[in-house]
Amino acid sequence: MRFARRIGTTGLIVYTLLFFAFIYLPIALIVVYSFNADPVNMMRWSGFTIDWYRQIFGFRNAASEAALYIESTDQLIAAVRTSLIVAASTTVIATVLGTATALAVYRFNFFGKRFYRVLLFVPMLMPDIVLGIALLIFFVGVGISLGIGTIIIGQCTFLISYVFIVVSARLAGMDRSLENASADLGANEWTTFRRIILPQVMPGVVGGALLAFIISMDDLVITYFISGTSTQTLPIFIFGMLRRGIKPEVNAIATVMLLFSFTIAAAGLYLRRRNR
Amino acid sequence: MAESMVRLQRACKAFPLPEGGTVTALDAIDLEVARNEFLTLLGPSGCGKTTLLHAISGFVELDDGRIFVDGEDVSDRPPHRRPVNTVFQNYALFPHMTVGQNVGYALDIARTPRTERSGRVGAALEMVGLAGLENRLPRQLSGGQQQRVALARAIIARPKLLLLDEPLSALDRKLRQSMQIELKTLQAELGISFIFVTHDQEEALTMSNRVAVLDGGSIQQIDTPRAVYNNPANAFVASFVGASNLFQGMLQSGRVMTAQGDVISTDAAAAGSARVTALLRPEQFTIANGGGNGAAAKLDIGIRQIVFTGAGYEVHGRTMNGHDVVAAIAAAQQAQVASAEISRKATLLYDPAAVHIIAGGGDRS
Repeated sequence: MRFARRIGTTGLIVYTLLFFAFIYLPIALIVVYSFNADPVNMMRWSGFTIDWYRQIFGFRNAASEAALYIESTDQLIAAVRTSLIVAASTTVIATVLGTATALAVYRFNFFGKRFYRVLLFVPMLMPDIVLGIALLIFFVGVGISLGIGTIIIGQCTFLISYVFIVVSARLAGMDRSLENASADLGANEWTTFRRIILPQVMPGVVGGALLAFIISMDDLVITYFISGTSTQTLPIFIFGMLRRGIKPEVNAIATVMLLFSFTIAAAGLYLRRRNR
Repeated sequence: MAESMVRLQRACKAFPLPEGGTVTALDAIDLEVARNEFLTLLGPSGCGKTTLLHAISGFVELDDGRIFVDGEDVSDRPPHRRPVNTVFQNYALFPHMTVGQNVGYALDIARTPRTERSGRVGAALEMVGLAGLENRLPRQLSGGQQQRVALARAIIARPKLLLLDEPLSALDRKLRQSMQIELKTLQAELGISFIFVTHDQEEALTMSNRVAVLDGGSIQQIDTPRAVYNNPANAFVASFVGASNLFQGMLQSGRVMTAQGDVISTDAAAAGSARVTALLRPEQFTIANGGGNGAAAKLDIGIRQIVFTGAGYEVHGRTMNGHDVVAAIAAAQQAQVASAEISRKATLLYDPAAVHIIAGGGDRS
């Protein structure tokens, strides 16, 4: 009996370790290989280097000169800048519109409210490739030239849904009697909104904004269709690099992106904690 | 008496039901609350007491009728423009604000100068015994402390009238009893009118100057706690306020005879015969020694259950004719209770002069 229990416990531990290895090993490998000096076969460890980081940040040296896969660091920097501009714009637009929509649906009863709610869920469930093609056809049909503008508009169509859902979840947990209490103590509706409702939905708004930002930075499929030929976001740039073979710099870029995502997620968690 | 603090004139409210039709929450209610009065609205759930409170605070709009507070017609004013504050059932403290910010909220809204604000917040917290807890968050407080914060927050703006919506229902019994006394003291200190909603009849009797018993959207009786308990206006009030034994029957020459055959003696006289309900409170009974021969006012019962309550015994029994009877017997009659427990029967004595006669049959028991 005791023996059987011990087998069970050991089995559970092994399973847990395998489970986490399954999820995190590929990511860990990318981080490790980003420091691998071997320029041709990155599966073969041939010494520690930070050359690939130097390279993507634009510092070249003799050793890396031989293995120059990025034609120009400027291209990478331009892609990062485009991604940041797109992510910042879509985050602001999607957060404002998504939050406003969530508040309206929470506050008011109107005809077709349920149907409207479903409509807001649909863009999230739609296959990316369908949405991408649909947007491309729409933009071309209407005659808008593809570029950073169309990327921002296109991403907002589904990011608003994400913000809406996160903020709605927060609102659903809110106690309605607080609004009554505020009115009872002499506050008009605007003051009640500003001092009672808004501070309480804020964690949801911040969470929705961070989610929108990360998804925007990450989106490849939809953006790929609507970015046109002259505009490249970071995911599109990386995808382009990969088509010419997996190069060591990709590992370094991936590691930096990973660090960036973790930082944002950590900031989000910190804000959540502080607001609770 | 000067102009009353609150006056309701034929207040009516009906709510639509989801399956169509309406349910009447307030049925043309007239009510007056005097200055400095502690009035309790007592009734079972769904009797309209919370609707009545919300109508005064403005969260429920009346279908018909007027509400006056301190002589002013406030019927058409939104909640934030009525000189009334509320202590909510679940306290409704703002979770993202500290105790001090919660309590000072009404002063912020009124743009009270900062020095005055901090003085008044401190005084209000001191009044409810929470001095020094300004910087805590509501979730860091116990239920009783949260209740006090809600109270401090409601009285800081010096309302003319304080409404309390079952504020003690979430507290344990001991805390509830001490808060009852504190509320009563506080009301006397502040000198403002309280309207207190509860479904707990003991609470209503303990605290109020007057009790309004509600049922089905109308006031069944409004009077002092003593009068409501001793002279209930109808069978509903008699059964809802305190434990009661009700006997419906015909009153004829000093006796109430029920259809089942039970006989209750009374001093009340009736011209001819009339349908009445006789009320006997459990504490009106004593157990007779032996068979209680000779006593006119007696009730023979079979014992069903005897419960020790600390202060005495609760004897649950049934008459020969099948009418359930509850008697509260003092601890001094321990010996009689013990023999009743063995013989499984007892004779209960009562004073016919103390039997309260309610006119009419009363279809509730």
